[in-house]
Amino acid sequence: MRMPIYLDNAATTFPKPESVYQAVDQTLRQLGVNPGRGSYRLAMEASRIIFEVREAVADFFQIADSSRVVFTTNATEAINMALFGLLQPGDRVVTSSMEHNAVRRPLHALSARGVDVVRVPADSIGQVSPTAIREAASAGGRKTRMVVLSHCSNVTGTIQPIEEIGSWCRREGILFLVDAAQSAGLLPIDVQSMGIDLLAAPGHKSLMGPPGTGLLYVADGLQPAPLFFGGTGGNSLSPLMPEELPERLESGTLNTPGLAGLWAGIGYVREQGLERIQNHKVGLLDHLLHGLHSLPGIRIYGPAMAERHGGAVSFTVENRDLAEIGYLLDDKYEICVRTGLHCAADAHRTIGTLPSGTIRVSPGLFNTQADIEVLLKALETIIG
Amino acid sequence: MIADGDRIALFNSPTRVMKAEKVLRQAGLACRLIPAPREVAEGCAMALRFAASDQAAVFRQLADKDLLPRRLYTKDRGGCQSIPLPSTE
Repeated sequence: MRMPIYLDNAATTFPKPESVYQAVDQTLRQLGVNPGRGSYRLAMEASRIIFEVREAVADFFQIADSSRVVFTTNATEAINMALFGLLQPGDRVVTSSMEHNAVRRPLHALSARGVDVVRVPADSIGQVSPTAIREAASAGGRKTRMVVLSHCSNVTGTIQPIEEIGSWCRREGILFLVDAAQSAGLLPIDVQSMGIDLLAAPGHKSLMGPPGTGLLYVADGLQPAPLFFGGTGGNSLSPLMPEELPERLESGTLNTPGLAGLWAGIGYVREQGLERIQNHKVGLLDHLLHGLHSLPGIRIYGPAMAERHGGAVSFTVENRDLAEIGYLLDDKYEICVRTGLHCAADAHRTIGTLPSGTIRVSPGLFNTQADIEVLLKALETIIG
Repeated sequence: MIADGDRIALFNSPTRVMKAEKVLRQAGLACRLIPAPREVAEGCAMALRFAASDQAAVFRQLADKDLLPRRLYTKDRGGCQSIPLPSTE
């Protein structure tokens, strides 16, 4: 059976490298015990795997101390952990109009609890201006506690200037939380040089791990209140959560097979190299953008230059129902793309694509130029 | 599990004890993760066991990586006695 052409890697990457499947399978079969919950050798070995994944993540993002890496089930949980764990009523938070619901919804809930949330509008291609962030964070008559920003839009693929914003936040003593859902494993991230205090990333996107894996980096000196309470494998007599990270934020059984898969995924990304991965992506997006430009009635959103996109390109087709086009691509051509709002209504409001949204194409590491050509030919036929 | 004279180091968290084990093994120092004896730790905890003769080298390595233990014990006369953390300066 021919595999469908999967172009929804911004949602989750698929397929995974063979080494990821093997790591998950072997760990579940041979080390499917509870890490950190026993002192027999198998449990110790499972704990060592978790520890080594933590070290690999720390090394990947230039995090000096791996105990500041907290494992979560996805980036959404990591973002919630950072926001609910650190923000108090009366705190002021600056964010943008390009955020995914993973940021927008927890901030909305926190605003109902007295957190002051300021949204800086992005421009028509989804770009957030560092000047606008600085102005918003400096206004309001009291110090801003946190700036929250996605590194890369999941709708337009627009890459935000997080180095510039992060450096400024650090100088001003403002916490900087980066949602790296679309960039971790695709764009270089260095928490030190970029001034990042909190980094939320999924394991299952460009880091190539399986679903059910994610992480939160918490800078030294920050002590978020736990979102969940429960067993951590140590100091069991106490009714209190431990003070130390990562245990403070990791209640309950960890996903050892999934994290072993994430370790293999990071290994694969390292082996390929970010430069090669980016070149591959730019090659595919360049082909896609050129092809789309030559089709009638297509409007592309975002920078529309391959090297300025993360992994996604969004477009609309004049006078056509985008959901129908998505359906036809799947039904007639076995091509998987995403249509609609991509869980980011604010971003669509910003670029003017509410309420129908866009068609989003997000190629991955295993897509080829031939896949893009098949998509373009199918679109040409459908659009007519 | 623990011979007379062995050292038992307790750390602040399971992650730190794992890291300490890795650092010492990379430095070629013999050590082993063991369940902490009940007389040195309440509840469930892991401890690092190493030979008394390696103590100075172990603490040099751990101090270098900012991984000093919270408490140190020695097995003596059948029990675990608390001993002061050695100076690493």
